[in-house]
Amino acid sequence: MRRLKVGVKHLFGWHFPGHNLRVFPDDVFLVSYPKSGNTWTRFLVANLAYPEKSPDFSNINNLIPDPEGMSKRNLERSSRPRILKSHHCFDPRFQKVIYVVRDPRDVVVSEYHYDIKRRALAEDYPLPQFVSRFVRGELNHPYGTWGENAASWFYTRRGDPRFLLVKYEALEAQPTVEMGRVADFLGIPGDRERLAFAIEQSSARRMRELEKKQAHLWSSTRETRKDKPFVRAAKSGGWKADLCEASIAEIESAWGGIMRDLSYELVGLGLVVDGGTSNSAGQKSLL
Amino acid sequence: MIKHLIAGVKHALKLHYPGRALIILPDDIFLVSFPKSGNTWTRFLLANLRFPDQPATWANIDLLVPDPRSTAKRDLDRMPRPRLIKSHECFDPRYPRVIYIVRDPRDVVVSQYHYHRKLMRIVDDSPIESFVNRFLAGETCPHGSWGQNVVSWLATSERDPHFLLLRYEDMVADTAKELSKIVEFLDLSAAPEQIATAVERSSAASMRKMEEAQTNQLTKGSRKDISFIRSAASGGWRSELPPAMAAKIEGAWGPLMRRLGYELTSPSLPPEQDCQYLGILSSPRQ
Repeated sequence: MRRLKVGVKHLFGWHFPGHNLRVFPDDVFLVSYPKSGNTWTRFLVANLAYPEKSPDFSNINNLIPDPEGMSKRNLERSSRPRILKSHHCFDPRFQKVIYVVRDPRDVVVSEYHYDIKRRALAEDYPLPQFVSRFVRGELNHPYGTWGENAASWFYTRRGDPRFLLVKYEALEAQPTVEMGRVADFLGIPGDRERLAFAIEQSSARRMRELEKKQAHLWSSTRETRKDKPFVRAAKSGGWKADLCEASIAEIESAWGGIMRDLSYELVGLGLVVDGGTSNSAGQKSLL
Repeated sequence: MIKHLIAGVKHALKLHYPGRALIILPDDIFLVSFPKSGNTWTRFLLANLRFPDQPATWANIDLLVPDPRSTAKRDLDRMPRPRLIKSHECFDPRYPRVIYIVRDPRDVVVSQYHYHRKLMRIVDDSPIESFVNRFLAGETCPHGSWGQNVVSWLATSERDPHFLLLRYEDMVADTAKELSKIVEFLDLSAAPEQIATAVERSSAASMRKMEEAQTNQLTKGSRKDISFIRSAASGGWRSELPPAMAAKIEGAWGPLMRRLGYELTSPSLPPEQDCQYLGILSSPRQ
């Protein structure tokens, strides 16, 4: 019976294609590791590209769909060029890619709170233990560790004109500049008014308001705890207050090299940060 | 509509090829490489080692060490565990254990050029220059460019104890030694004689002989006058690849090639320039 259902779903294209997505040459992918500002960027880009659709939590999944959560049929009927959301590691089929990266020390804190919100984690679960699981990649999702995800994109695509790296921190500090780059990349006129509108429509304050009204309409908040917001601090650097020294050291010793290459300043904590960058001597021999 | 109907029925009966939607099991072992880097040879080696009672042939290799892009889900579900699975994909964090084979891209491009002639994707007198350009841009196969494929794995997994990197060139030089590394990596026990048998059964001579005698999935419908098993050697690019093309490849991936121990012919690259991909992650995946 189950098999019949699978068969019928495929017959009508009702299944979610996920990994087997049919990619079109003009697709644009908005990629990030989870909890790195993907939803915020989705709102920003949707407000930039489709301002007439008034993007909010009720339609964002249709405006910038996730192939893991939309049927093959609807994906193939979306108007072109499509802008698609993804958390996947490097995929050579994705040609035009905006990769949003965020300091992993903030990502882990955000993931921790989100997992409590969606009841994947007990409220009193110790954060340092969660950091260890995060570093080891034990999060029950297929997107790798933060380091794997970031490195898989950064080292394969940097310098490529069809790859735009956007840092969450820069987006927060100077949204107009960063959104101007995004507009250029998408070939959308990036006049000041249009950018300001997109930024205002996607502000943390407005997204919080929308969340209050629409949490029940959106897949990522529908069945989660109502006492914890999805749009949380929406700030960078919170890890300095939230993470203990051991946790910071654990993250930096796992991913020091790629963090440095992405210009995230390391605390160091007097620990030997293994995994140097380009020219560091004494690298472990490969062969 | 008919196409959809067939797809629907295939899914119901699990006759479809799962491809990237393969359901991965925690003890799966993936044999990964960029195309034309010794993947088929290693498939034969592993199959002959693992299933000594059933010598690997062109006809059964897809069941012994299958490719999820060309093996039915039903057959993949029925395989003995742990499964050995072939793949050309770029880094996939879901793969629990990975044997990654890398080969000098200057040889890879020559091999792929002849393979595409065999498949009739290019004509015989098609200039290798234009093929090299497409190769560099990652347009000759759906698995990224050589550099992207290699870097995606090395930058993420180099220090992972569940990741084993082998060079095709080392396998050619001392096959038994490299196969022993795989045995150790997989915690298998194999006597030297068993390894020797697997090496012998998978030799280029043996695989060539079988290729002549057997029809098979891999080469079905391709030109018979060009064999799949070609030189099975390393360094052939020195005579086959115009120097300017070798230099172009080195210009694109020189630092990475040097890091992998492939000697460069163009002296112009500054030492260790920009080779940041390697050794950047130190956290072993558990």
